[in-house]
Amino acid sequence: MNFLLRLENIGYSAPENSVKNKYRKKTILSQINFELEKGKILGIAGESGSGKTTLAKIIAGIVLPTEGKIFSNFADGWQKLKPYPVQILFQNNGEILNPLRNVEKIIDESLRIRYKNKQIDNEKERIFHLLNIPVSIRNRKGFELSGGEQQRIALARIIASNPELLILDEPFSAQDPISQLNLLKILKQINSEFGITIICIAHNLTILNNLCDDMIILYNGEIVEKDSVNKIFESPGHPYTKFLLKASNYNLSYEEISQEIYLINY
Amino acid sequence: MLNVKINEIRLNNITLLKDINFKLENNRIYTIIGPNGSGKSTLINSLTCLLDKRFYSINGKVIFHNKDLLSITYEELLVIRKNFIKYVFQDAINSFDPLKKFEFYFKIFSKNEVDIESLLKFFLLPDKINLSRLFPYEVSGGMAQRIGFVLALLNEPEILILDEPTSGIDSAIANLFLLKIRQFASQKNNIVLLVTHDIKFAQKASHEIAFLANRSISKFTSIDNFSLDQGSEFADFNKIQNELV
Repeated sequence: MNFLLRLENIGYSAPENSVKNKYRKKTILSQINFELEKGKILGIAGESGSGKTTLAKIIAGIVLPTEGKIFSNFADGWQKLKPYPVQILFQNNGEILNPLRNVEKIIDESLRIRYKNKQIDNEKERIFHLLNIPVSIRNRKGFELSGGEQQRIALARIIASNPELLILDEPFSAQDPISQLNLLKILKQINSEFGITIICIAHNLTILNNLCDDMIILYNGEIVEKDSVNKIFESPGHPYTKFLLKASNYNLSYEEISQEIYLINY
Repeated sequence: MLNVKINEIRLNNITLLKDINFKLENNRIYTIIGPNGSGKSTLINSLTCLLDKRFYSINGKVIFHNKDLLSITYEELLVIRKNFIKYVFQDAINSFDPLKKFEFYFKIFSKNEVDIESLLKFFLLPDKINLSRLFPYEVSGGMAQRIGFVLALLNEPEILILDEPTSGIDSAIANLFLLKIRQFASQKNNIVLLVTHDIKFAQKASHEIAFLANRSISKFTSIDNFSLDQGSEFADFNKIQNELV
């Protein structure tokens, strides 16, 4: 048993906000099947609105799927009063930190769940060091940090709770190229040193290519391609994957875009 | 034309930016790039006094239509913000009020149905009736960003300021933005000011680029000359971008 999670026929439909028909449902995800191996990095890419964030929320247990089952195989299981072994870093930076709280206290709070007072300082130092957080921002408050810095502190807070599976929703979008490369190195380090399994959602395919072992392409709420990264980049199978790879050069005409993008019917 | 001469922007007692001097001409697309926390968002927010005056103090001038935007009355400023200078913010979903449906925004920004429908169609969004009954948290990040873009375009502004338009959207939609930005600048003789990390996007979209680092901004230069003129930090940016491919 070397899988961490197994998703079987996961589907999710949300009740529609409609005056005419109150009980109509809107399908967001359907027939999601995959197995997540321990210690791997999985990338998820796909159209905006294709259900990537919803899938992340289902895996993290924030949203219950309306169909299907999830089997988990965590080392300690899940005990009450302990942090859940799946942690998620959300896309919306700017609202993920308490604006009036200082960075050290934010990390302290998370560490206090697992450690005694004496150990906290050591552990905090180790996390700051690992994530390359400069001394100059440790005493600042949430509102004094830029979007990219806030995201890094939020990641530090998550690492402090020692998860087994880390889900990242668009971690690279608010970072400049240098920070992107640093974050890439940090994620690989977290993965190899702590053995934390990572699921990374991103639009930037070049970064996913550098980071991940396997990749899933979502289109219109379904998995259209699932393979190792090398294979997807060398010989993409599904037309949508080919389109995504082509689009990353920003050379498409309006006709090419409008033909491929699925218009969501609300 | 927008003429910016800002001597200093301070937050409490820290100098965030100083000696910001640039001029934006009509029918051009400009891009500012720079590392995280260098003050890109602070700079563009300062242009129409969006910074909270209790914490920030700005010393300088922003001349638009022969008026200094930093010293006109609040009522005049509201008119400028409503009709002439529009923003699309970085954090799309959070720039909407979560308790108001999109209907609320469509009502405020334009009475012209045809405009709305054609823009929604261009951005491959559902039509107005369907969109109106949704709350901001019911749409995806990429959709919220596109709706923000549509709302910014509705009043036919003269200047469009985009903060990180490509973050959180897939490259196909970014491509769509690129086409719209070009069209906006060239067809109606307008100005676009972009702030982004995506150098590839910046190179494709803009006429002139400037680099913001160490509290100050470099001169706007055309794309071809840009990479040669700039200091080591931009060279690093470019190198990494190439390394990742």
